[in-house]
Amino acid sequence: MVRMKVLKTSKLEAAFNKLVGFGDLYVPMLRGSQSGFYSWKTYNEDYDDLMLDILNVYLPPKNFVLPQTEKLYSFKQEGVAIDIEEVKQKIEPKILFGIRACDVKGIDYLDEVFLTRGYDDIAYKERRDSLAIIASACYNPGTNCFCESMGVNPTEIESADVILREYGPEGYVWEVKTPKGEEVTKLIADLLEDEEVKLPELKSFLRQVEYEGVAEKLKDMFEHPIWDKASEPCQNCGICTYLCPTCYCFDIQVKSWGDEGYRFRCWDSCMYREYTQMAGGHNPREASKERFRNRFLHKLQFFPERYGPSLCTGCGRCVVVCPVGINITTIIQDIKEAE
Amino acid sequence: MHKCDCESPLTPSVVEIMDIVEETSDVKTFYVKKPEGGVPFDVMPGQLAMVSHVPVGEGMFSISWQEENEYLQVAIKRVGLMTDELHRLEVGQQLGIRGPYGNGFPVEECKGKDMLFIGGGIGLAPLRSFIKYCFKHREDYGKITIVYGSRSYDDLCFKDELFEKWPKEKNTEVYVTIDNPEVCWDGHCGFVPAYVEELNVSPENTVAVTCGPPIMIKFVLESLEKMGYTDEQVITTLEMRMKCGVGKCGRCNIGSEYICLDGPVFNLAQLRELPPEW
Repeated sequence: MVRMKVLKTSKLEAAFNKLVGFGDLYVPMLRGSQSGFYSWKTYNEDYDDLMLDILNVYLPPKNFVLPQTEKLYSFKQEGVAIDIEEVKQKIEPKILFGIRACDVKGIDYLDEVFLTRGYDDIAYKERRDSLAIIASACYNPGTNCFCESMGVNPTEIESADVILREYGPEGYVWEVKTPKGEEVTKLIADLLEDEEVKLPELKSFLRQVEYEGVAEKLKDMFEHPIWDKASEPCQNCGICTYLCPTCYCFDIQVKSWGDEGYRFRCWDSCMYREYTQMAGGHNPREASKERFRNRFLHKLQFFPERYGPSLCTGCGRCVVVCPVGINITTIIQDIKEAE
Repeated sequence: MHKCDCESPLTPSVVEIMDIVEETSDVKTFYVKKPEGGVPFDVMPGQLAMVSHVPVGEGMFSISWQEENEYLQVAIKRVGLMTDELHRLEVGQQLGIRGPYGNGFPVEECKGKDMLFIGGGIGLAPLRSFIKYCFKHREDYGKITIVYGSRSYDDLCFKDELFEKWPKEKNTEVYVTIDNPEVCWDGHCGFVPAYVEELNVSPENTVAVTCGPPIMIKFVLESLEKMGYTDEQVITTLEMRMKCGVGKCGRCNIGSEYICLDGPVFNLAQLRELPPEW
């Protein structure tokens, strides 16, 4: 038993109402048939279910740093002249409450892409800097969770500003990790209590896979028959990329009416033929198998070669939603066992 | 990297078409400058720029020449929706442009070498930036051999330079071929790779740079290997669909390399390290 600051479940709603002092507060809810992080401002108890005990919400929180669509600039053409005006994003502070280790790690990987190696994406950086992360430690992994296998620690969440630890139905340990966490905590200081609590033990993962050595081994497996077999059922529907907390590929598209309009960035998917379709007809990844292979190699070999870790956090969403039952852990396993 | 006065590297700056030269029935070279004059940014040979006809779309093109402080030249082949619209434009039209992107040709490393340029079709556009750079810094490079081919006489780009200007340059040989005989043509006929083998330029202290349709590149690489060129002596440029230009949007990867950022120029030794998707 250790003495810790705790937030009682009975005071959660009171805490939410105070946390909005930092910025818009997003909490896990089931809305209609989809769970996701929705604004506490929009919570309607007749329609929404608060789901703090849900492990992974259906919709990953990547949109908080990389919105599904985002205007880049507007333009107007008058005769032969054009006028281009950058769209300044209105970025307000936000709190993500109850986000899990896998999704926090997903944001870490997006940070690697958009904020490192000589490139700072300005709007991304502003959104990231104004985001406070109150993460929830997982002690009881779900049936499709395999974050631990992908090197994610489900209880010690590095990039969290505050870590919540549910010690029982009565409440959460409130562990402050960063100055931003301090700032957020000040808002609810009067609701926190000192209490002797016993933290639960982390239960073992039902789904496990050995990732070590896979990136290295894949270097010689580009032409391996494993890709024919694994990609055969894939319908290239793209749901895995849509729900993946780490899939960040984007398209830049135009919306125009007459001589004016705007250009915007939006999520894209490597599962679609148009993704690499070139003018004139050539497509280097014309076949479904080629696109499938590129997706898995990007996750398991190319991203590690460029950035270090694999681009999978073991959240399990793609395993759950794939309409034909493609399972990344099975693919990793098959790679390990392949000759 | 980005030289426009806007904050985001994805926002273009404005340029104006100051001249259009019809190279062939489907290739036009656009001369662009800032409305107030001058280039929007400096490019090295082989680098790329994203050109937008704003209401229609953006496309990544190789800059085929930069006349310092004056204008950029972009040779564009009409192959799809966006390029079709570009070909309809007239002098004075303003466009968006952002860049420069990509690594460009290794102009420094090639100093002191003999240069063998092998181009096919519109593939001469990127090579041309390097060829003209060599002529501009003529004393830095040895003998220059240019082998260029296209389907027909009409499809040969930059004819004025090919037949008039370049052959007159010091220590330079230009060889032009077309795929099939034509009444008006008394030059060489046949495909580029075979012509390269026939000419058999010695690999000694030579760098070969090739760009053209993928199928031509494939056979040219084989020819050069037969002629004794090592993988380090052979340079080519790759093409992929691109959107962002800064290695983030994802689509132009071959293996873990992004063509817009790490390419488009690679030597054959580097290419052999990549998955065979090029």
